[in-house]
Amino acid sequence: MRGNDSGGEMISFLVLLGIVVCFSAILALALNFQWGLGGMVNFGLTGFYALGAYSSALLMLKAGANTFFATLGAILIVALVCGLVALVTLRVAEEDYFAIVTLGVGEMLRLVVLNEDWLTKGALGLTGIPRPLGDLVPPGQYQYFLLALSAAALLGVLAFLTVIQRSPFGRLVRAVREDDVVAATLGKNVLWARVRIFAIGGGIIGLAGSLHSFYYQYIDPTQFTNIVIAYAFMAVIAGGRGAHRGAILGAAAVMVLLEGSRFVKDAIPALDSDQLAAIRIIIIGAGLIALLIWRPQGFLREYRLKISP
Amino acid sequence: MRASPRPVFQTLFNGLITGVIMTLPALAVTLLFGVLKFPNFAVGAMMTVAAYLAFALNAQLGWPLLVASLVAALGMGFACIAIDQVTFKPLRERGAITLMVASLGLGFILENIARFAYGNTARSFVMELARPFRFFEIRMNREQMITIAVATAAMLLMWALLTRLPIGRAMRAVADNPALALVRGIESPRVIRWTWFITGVLLGVGGVLVGMDRALEPPMGSNYVISVFAAAILGGLGSPLGAFAGALIIGVVSELSTLVMAPNYRIGVPLMAIAIILIFRPQGLFGQPYIRR
Repeated sequence: MRGNDSGGEMISFLVLLGIVVCFSAILALALNFQWGLGGMVNFGLTGFYALGAYSSALLMLKAGANTFFATLGAILIVALVCGLVALVTLRVAEEDYFAIVTLGVGEMLRLVVLNEDWLTKGALGLTGIPRPLGDLVPPGQYQYFLLALSAAALLGVLAFLTVIQRSPFGRLVRAVREDDVVAATLGKNVLWARVRIFAIGGGIIGLAGSLHSFYYQYIDPTQFTNIVIAYAFMAVIAGGRGAHRGAILGAAAVMVLLEGSRFVKDAIPALDSDQLAAIRIIIIGAGLIALLIWRPQGFLREYRLKISP
Repeated sequence: MRASPRPVFQTLFNGLITGVIMTLPALAVTLLFGVLKFPNFAVGAMMTVAAYLAFALNAQLGWPLLVASLVAALGMGFACIAIDQVTFKPLRERGAITLMVASLGLGFILENIARFAYGNTARSFVMELARPFRFFEIRMNREQMITIAVATAAMLLMWALLTRLPIGRAMRAVADNPALALVRGIESPRVIRWTWFITGVLLGVGGVLVGMDRALEPPMGSNYVISVFAAAILGGLGSPLGAFAGALIIGVVSELSTLVMAPNYRIGVPLMAIAIILIFRPQGLFGQPYIRR
């Protein structure tokens, strides 16, 4: 009986891997927009991601919203918070300060999730999170449906960012990244541009967080650790800063490696799960630095307007 | 665990201890920022690794804590020189953002080396227990006395080094104006090596003090990162005196905040501090006025 199932299990594993790749890729796209295109480092990514997941889950569980409005709400909430952070910090500060503040805000959000038991159930986490069309799609088929939904969301985000990138605003985004003083001299409102860049990225992070809660149906603070921010940065650097497709490929590669590494546990039984988690992060951190040193441009190029011959 | 509302003076004293501990990493951050112009996000993990190194020598090899800490701090100093050669030197010309991201990755590596070796269980140093004593209603323990003594000694040594020794003056010169320092024949690779060494030693001592104050666990150092940055920014990034003052202020205010709000959100204080400083006085208390291109 079990033996006959192994093919099905493998397919199941691949489908689930596909879903994880999709929402990781959406997260990588968000970071790529904020940091790769806009030049705004986001070290609070994990906290914002958790904010998205918890907002979506709480809107459904406490406010009775349906999955669509919960997702929309999560997008708006994270966008708003990110926009505020950018507004307060960037009025005067340079990139270094901004990175420190995002780190602090991310940590603060994580603490809220962990400590506000009345709202988030603290370390216990939230269970029974509804899924989109959960009662219409038969449970056996649901994973395929969720894969399709996640893939559609990913393509939607990609299309949205591609349109933005090629619009006048996209040029402003790159101008602000390359030299904010020049952009300001040309009459552009740099602060407002940065607020919008960070808020748009935040909205996308909210979407990824929402998908995360649909996928797991159960969220707790341990799901939102440093590994999220490590793999997102790794994905963006590997893909090539500013290149959307690169970020997706980067996220896919990193997630396949991460999820694949669970087989390492079978190969080396002496390792406990903490050690395995530690090794994963060590490898990602080392890979990140190695890429920065030897292949800082990544593997794909940012889209550029070309003058046709 | 937390007893009924503590008297204000006890809280003040505890805040002072936290601040005193933070003076060391805050000074490390500010020195490194002065010379290399990037905030090192691996400070927390560097403290963690040094503390575990001291733990290995102290609890596993049975060395006295003092000797173990000294060796661990010096070891961290040399480790930092090596880390710089491997990680940051090839990235030197790439701008602050790249260096920050690299330091973030480095922090992940270091913290997880500690986690890999010792797991997530909290541990503590082996040292003889002593009864806490009271001084005008304030309860103090011996670890806190040691902390004050060690941090004061380290600060005096740093002051002497920065103002009296040629290498300290060279460091300040490079921090102040790298181009001018180069013209005056100051060898920047040597200054950078020394800066990293001092950074490592300060973080090593700081890590041991944190481990003595609380316990050893992998996130022990990264828990301090925000506060340490807030201290350095409050004092004015690049200003050693400012880092010292900033650390004491942030430590005391964070601890006092627990009298009026939930202690879990202590980290909100440094965060608010950063926001307020950035809006009203971006150069910090002791920093150079802020000039934009």
